[in-house]
Amino acid sequence: MAKIPVSMVVNGERVGPVQVDEYTTLLDFLQEYLNLTGTKLGCGIGVCRACTILVEGNDGALEPVRSCINNVGRFNGSSVTTVEGQAQRNSNGEVLALSPVQQAFLRNFSFQCGWCTAGFVNAATALIDDLRRRPVSAGKVEQVIEEALGEHICRCTGYVRYFRAVREVIESTPGLVKEAD
Amino acid sequence: MGRIILLLLSVLSAGFSGAQTPIETGRYLATAADCVACHTSSNGRPFVGGRPFHTPFGILYSTNITPDKKTGIGHYTLQDFAASMRRGVGLHGNLYPAMPYTSYYRITDDDIAALYAYFMQLPAVEYVAPKNDLLFPANLRFGLKAWNLAFFDRQPVSEIAGKSPEWQRGNYLVNALGHCGECHTPRNFAFALKRDESLAGNVLEGWDAVDIRPQALQRQGWDRASLRELFRSGASEPGAAFGEMFRVVKHSLSHLSDSDLDAMITYLLDGNETAAEASGDVGGNPGSAADNYPEGRGDFVAYCAACHGREGTGTTIAFAPAMDRNAGVRGENPYNTIAVILRGLPAQRMSRTNARAGMPGFASELSDARVAGLVNFMRTAWGDPGGEVTEDQVAKIREDLRKHGFIGEKK
Repeated sequence: MAKIPVSMVVNGERVGPVQVDEYTTLLDFLQEYLNLTGTKLGCGIGVCRACTILVEGNDGALEPVRSCINNVGRFNGSSVTTVEGQAQRNSNGEVLALSPVQQAFLRNFSFQCGWCTAGFVNAATALIDDLRRRPVSAGKVEQVIEEALGEHICRCTGYVRYFRAVREVIESTPGLVKEAD
Repeated sequence: MGRIILLLLSVLSAGFSGAQTPIETGRYLATAADCVACHTSSNGRPFVGGRPFHTPFGILYSTNITPDKKTGIGHYTLQDFAASMRRGVGLHGNLYPAMPYTSYYRITDDDIAALYAYFMQLPAVEYVAPKNDLLFPANLRFGLKAWNLAFFDRQPVSEIAGKSPEWQRGNYLVNALGHCGECHTPRNFAFALKRDESLAGNVLEGWDAVDIRPQALQRQGWDRASLRELFRSGASEPGAAFGEMFRVVKHSLSHLSDSDLDAMITYLLDGNETAAEASGDVGGNPGSAADNYPEGRGDFVAYCAACHGREGTGTTIAFAPAMDRNAGVRGENPYNTIAVILRGLPAQRMSRTNARAGMPGFASELSDARVAGLVNFMRTAWGDPGGEVTEDQVAKIREDLRKHGFIGEKK
């Protein structure tokens, strides 16, 4: 099995180069090589979005990407954020504070079994990041949440509480909603 | 009482003999002609119109063809209906040739009458489609008379000698009712079908409506069984229908009778019934593909292989079709292979139990050179590369897709 050298930045830390079987999915790489097990395998065919992680674009924007359907080669040299990278931590890696999105999901009892949660956290974080760059009018908030999270599947059906939590974060964070178009 | 029994008897005998009332026949013909696809807006009521069509000359909206007297075709006599279907002449002036009268002129009198009977008994819906937004001079309807004179070649369809009745029926279904050429036949500068290149393929809405002439279908690897499966379910071993063709299968082809589908296939393959690999003409070469296009192979492994398989064998048709011997990869024109990589595909649902996953697009991540390398790798490994795809070719397609809003700006 051919191996390729893989290096990337994961949650702010440099990883690699490590020799990895070229057919390893990013999801397997995170779990098996880096012991980051917060990213979950759901459907394995890119439909359910449970495995969504964030990739930083050239302009610094965060793009949600499904980690189960692409192999490591795609992410060579990229900067990747997983659910483990969302909370603030001290130098010992201990959690100081959850991110606003994580807090809102807990406050709203958004998830139950939790399998889809990492994907929702990352997609919602990308949405907040996007709104910081390109705010929308209040009337559009529902629509952008729908566009960002509408494809994510939650079998405990926490959809309403997920959406409500994200709306709370958007409305309580200055600069994400503008007056009017 | 006697009359009622007689009526009952005639209804029963019609049922037993398989004969249809004109309305039932009309409903079937309307399905074969796929009227609903164009005359329904997304999530709108069937046949009330309002679906926008983006043409090089501006935006056209389909019209209300329910029998509403004010806003639909309620005032149309059979003669008026025939004139609009066959000559593009409506009660309010000439129709734009987005209405496929350039194909429908071949529909027989009996079938026109059945279609009329069907449409006139539909529930009437009062609805007016948005006003067309066309550029000068296309916004002037009187110009359509001149267009018809210049480009509407109304030669009657005569039976082609030496062909079976099944073939003749297929010809009628493909070229008259099915109006396949309206997408699959190239158009000239004035948007008229080029009759001498019938069904030779044409790029439309950012996809290549592929060459469906017999030799091209054979080269792409289609045979009778796989075409039948494609028309029934939207996908089969050589590949899946997407874009407008998916809707054609969903609303029209999948509802046709076995004998009509077989007739269409008989016409389309026209005797070329052996798939190309059986005749030994086609065979990819994964080894030479990897040697010649190492970057392309690397990108296939990184971007595609998790779903489409290490050896390109795919993971079920519903999820990720095989690239090995895929009709798109084998086709002469690489347009769709390139366009799919750039724009991705939406998830599609044919029925409650037949759905297909979507595919992400990689326009913002893969440069023109990398897309070219990836396509060359796939075509060499699993297709029948008729010449190398160049970076410039990809750049042109990317620009075309970007201009029409099918992909975002290059990052």
